[in-house]
Amino acid sequence: MPPTTPAPASRSRDHRTPTRSFLVGAGRAAGGAIIFGLPLLMTMEMWQLGVGMSPLRLALLIVVTLPLLVGLSRVAGFEETVALHEDIADALVAWAIGFVVSAAVLVLFGAVGRGTTPREALGMVALQAVPASIGALLSQSQLGGQRADEGDDGRTVAEPGYWRELFLMLAGALFLAFNVAPTEEMVLIAYMMTPWHVLALTVVSLAMMHGFVYAVEFRGQESVPGHMGARVAFLRFTVVGYAIALLVSAYVLWTFGRLDDMAWSEQLTAALVLGFPASLGAAAARLLL
Amino acid sequence: MTRDERGEHRTSALEWAVASLGLVLVVGTVVLLVRDAVGEGTPAVELAVRVDSVVPRGGGHAVHFTAHNAGRATAAEVTVRGERRDGDAAEESAATLDYVPGRSSRRGTLYFGGGASPRDVRLRVEGFREP
Repeated sequence: MPPTTPAPASRSRDHRTPTRSFLVGAGRAAGGAIIFGLPLLMTMEMWQLGVGMSPLRLALLIVVTLPLLVGLSRVAGFEETVALHEDIADALVAWAIGFVVSAAVLVLFGAVGRGTTPREALGMVALQAVPASIGALLSQSQLGGQRADEGDDGRTVAEPGYWRELFLMLAGALFLAFNVAPTEEMVLIAYMMTPWHVLALTVVSLAMMHGFVYAVEFRGQESVPGHMGARVAFLRFTVVGYAIALLVSAYVLWTFGRLDDMAWSEQLTAALVLGFPASLGAAAARLLL
Repeated sequence: MTRDERGEHRTSALEWAVASLGLVLVVGTVVLLVRDAVGEGTPAVELAVRVDSVVPRGGGHAVHFTAHNAGRATAAEVTVRGERRDGDAAEESAATLDYVPGRSSRRGTLYFGGGASPRDVRLRVEGFREP
């Protein structure tokens, strides 16, 4: 009898118990939560917003984040969840990890301390848990999870669906917009720009989005399918993606109260300014995820 | 989250426990936030300041105070002004608190010169702005 060949490296993970495997994944998720969450955890406007923002808008944001996490889990998160309930479990785990990590870091920084009331602490931690949980969920796909090892077993779809692409763009736009919107500088930039600046920024955003995906040789970039002309691709992905980025920007601004009591032209300007990083996030998400 | 040798999915008990914690955190947070929003009809901002202690310092006094916001909304740039009367002379000091969230307190200190009795110091909240 020939000796059995040793199991390939990727299969050695199967010998871990599920518990141990979960702990490793959770550790990775905590790392992702810190990496994705730290810039905002060290942003004072986020602390103030966590305390002072409308509680209903914050509650809505949290309610919206959960399906986003579930969707990300199906599309890009912890490896190979086949059943919906597993995606839901992964989303809840990501939220728990993001929540705990945010709380720990805020306590470490003294942002949540002796003088902080429970309501303040809840607001600050819950708000921070939104980006941190996204980081926790994505950590598997970004920091080298098991996906890479199990190519043909994996659920990587041969041709990504259109809705999947749109969802990724939405997630990327949301994350980038979230990172930029709380700061005072964002408001200041909107004030500094003239309408011509804003127009130029819109054109640049669109060009950049389109260029990102199709014209530049980036890893993971798909080529335009032969039957689809560049013009159609522009409409279907780039323009739609930019529209998604703008809507996401408007939503994030509204959530942070940055649209209240403003003339519609100022609101539009703010959304277009935030749309620049948001469209970057949308384009990058399609490449990276 | 992982496969055993047969390639089947097995979710550990620990994972379900953490997921349950996540569920509790989500639902609890949303419920608490909604309850906070719906709340009783407390006024938007209600600021009051009280003196905690007066400590002799150098040639004068340090007056430690606490500003409390009984309302639900956050008040930003809260100016606390103190006036000390010493016979006919009056001395004013002011301090600005970055923000005092709803149903929260923030502390500060005002410095005064002279040797007057602490009981001559009056503090008041001068104003604030909406964040």
